[in-house]
Amino acid sequence: MRTGDYKETIGQLVALSDSAVVWGWTIALIAALLLLPFFMGAYTQTLMVSALITIIGAVGLNILTGTTGLISLGQAGFMAVGAYTNAILMTDHGVPVWVSLPSAGVVAAFVSLVVGIPSLRLKGLYLAITTLAFAFIINHIILYADALTHGPNGIFVNGATLFGLDLQRGKPLYYLALGLTIAAVLLALNLSRTRVGRAWMAIRDHDIAARVMGVDLVRYKLFAFMTSSFIVGVSGALLSLQIRFVNIDVFAFILSIEALAAIILGGLGSVAGAVLGALFLSFLPEAIRLSIATFADPSSTIYTDYVYEIRGIAYGVVIVLFLRFKPDGLIGFWRDARRYWSDWPLAY
Amino acid sequence: MNIHLSVVLAALLSSTAALAADPGVSDTEIKIGDVNIMTGPAAFVGRGVALGSKIAAAEINAAGGVNGRKITIITEDDGYIPSRSFQALTKLLEVDNIFALNGTSGTANALAMMPLITENNLPTVVTTAPAELIYNPVRPSVFTFGANYRDAFYAQLKYIHEHSEPKDAVYGIIRQDDDFGKEVENGYDRAVKEFGVKDGLRLRFKKGTTNFSAEMAQMKQAGVNVLVNGAIFAGAANVLSEARKLDMNVQSAGVWTEGIPASAKLSAPAGYDYLVGDYVAFTGPAAEKFAEMAKKFATPEELAGVSRYTFVTYIGLKVLAHAMEECGKDLTRACTIEKLRQMKNFDTGGLSAPISFDNPQQLSGTAVAVYQFNAKDGTFKGLTDFVKY
Repeated sequence: MRTGDYKETIGQLVALSDSAVVWGWTIALIAALLLLPFFMGAYTQTLMVSALITIIGAVGLNILTGTTGLISLGQAGFMAVGAYTNAILMTDHGVPVWVSLPSAGVVAAFVSLVVGIPSLRLKGLYLAITTLAFAFIINHIILYADALTHGPNGIFVNGATLFGLDLQRGKPLYYLALGLTIAAVLLALNLSRTRVGRAWMAIRDHDIAARVMGVDLVRYKLFAFMTSSFIVGVSGALLSLQIRFVNIDVFAFILSIEALAAIILGGLGSVAGAVLGALFLSFLPEAIRLSIATFADPSSTIYTDYVYEIRGIAYGVVIVLFLRFKPDGLIGFWRDARRYWSDWPLAY
Repeated sequence: MNIHLSVVLAALLSSTAALAADPGVSDTEIKIGDVNIMTGPAAFVGRGVALGSKIAAAEINAAGGVNGRKITIITEDDGYIPSRSFQALTKLLEVDNIFALNGTSGTANALAMMPLITENNLPTVVTTAPAELIYNPVRPSVFTFGANYRDAFYAQLKYIHEHSEPKDAVYGIIRQDDDFGKEVENGYDRAVKEFGVKDGLRLRFKKGTTNFSAEMAQMKQAGVNVLVNGAIFAGAANVLSEARKLDMNVQSAGVWTEGIPASAKLSAPAGYDYLVGDYVAFTGPAAEKFAEMAKKFATPEELAGVSRYTFVTYIGLKVLAHAMEECGKDLTRACTIEKLRQMKNFDTGGLSAPISFDNPQQLSGTAVAVYQFNAKDGTFKGLTDFVKY
């Protein structure tokens, strides 16, 4: 029976996991994800790609909000910057996707300084409102800078190929999204275990105390903004590849709210939580749709007249109930389950 | 032996034909998709749109279907978010195996679906977003029904200019800062240039704005007495309400959304008999005939949601069904597209100008009629026939 974990070297302390079982399951999960496209239909594949894009965005936001404690409502704005950068570079300048995709992240990272620098003295709700204002400014710039962004007309995104593979459809798009998701998760996990990650957490827990301990608030806050926006920008670029069209309506304010909801539902501050929350929110509408289709009587008036309202209400109710009864998020469920099995038969 | 061979050959040929059949068609059914706004603030528009397809399908099915095949409508909600429109159409194509699409949500939503529509050669009738971006460049399987906002506003301003223009007219426009607003301003531009009238003030606002007090104060300051009201629903009503507060004497031209009962109810208290330009006859004998017919196929609750949006998708499905009918028993997407392309003067029973897609843009129903609201009794009357501008 396991009685506890004992770390004897620095290497063990900073390892992603010291458990062979965890590594085994992780490898099994990645193998399953790699094989998944061979067993699922095109629609499920589309849902999976959307979920992976949401995960990347949530992991990015989690660095800023969950790890560093800087609440952001500018997610839609950073995604729009990434998506438009990718679209403009590919469509108007013929830049290959392997250049435009990272460029989308880099441009979003530098644009984040525009909101990051003036926000250095802000936190909490004040920062949230500032980032929200930033999203509106981005919206206006995209609409009015016709010559660069095509204004309200939007841009069709085509021609993303690599080694002859079309990265905008089917399996290649899925593998691209999966690869970037794994990269984003690894980046976030590794950063959280470095000096940088510990500085971010110190800022989140008490910024004045962090400064007293020698943490450079300006440097680490801006780095959090840039890292988060880089990842979110890449998720925006991926979205532009998937739907093959960008327009300002694609980046509605609801995207920011959903991203925030994902990291709160998953468990704020945890990378695994961000992943679980994003997965949960991505598949919840589909689960509700399938449940209603399975259990409701399709000939009833309530079904035919109100099915969409019922779906919308069910979506909200599930989230409310979840937060009421599991405020530490999905990661809390996971920790409870893990603790139960590792402590069994003494679990309580 | 020869007999056996011919039987085998016949079986092979028939199985090949079955394999070659396009998705969404069986011996008894044709599945038509509809991506629509069923949730969110604009859901009441989506409900009207979905109802149009439903009534048309029920009417066609009651008359024996399309060459004996019943039409089934499958609606997916996109909540007016383009990325969800893409997902919704993916589901309709991959899970429900639709044959064609009638109902494409808003302009950006339809554009987000265009790559899928094009690569699946999906016969699509766009009825709710007849913007230039939809038909320019032309996409082989996409047919657009409806006038653009430019013509709808030009028609109204032309009517005002010719029949009721105030002395010393000063024109002004307030419009959204997006593709829709741009189209509205194009119509205004054309009118101001052609009529040689004074262009008093042009204002833009962000989608979702509801307070127009500052904008309308500027309009009054500029002496505007012919107003292009490019706001929609509550926004349009608020523009008129602010004008009333400022005691402005204006003639107002509005978006066709202001012709639907819910919008008219919101705008009526301001007391302006505003104009609306539309490509469907949402009032008059054709609309009354439609209402009578619809009673057979919709519940009273559903009928309360009938609006101009119901008419546009009703017409869209009738057009699609006519093209499919022309293909006979061997129904394919390619044939349907070809028949739509050949369509000439399809009669919509007076609900719109006759439909013809035999033009390079595959665009029809561009003729606009002008209607006037009576704020006292909440009714509309037709001022002009359908005219192309």
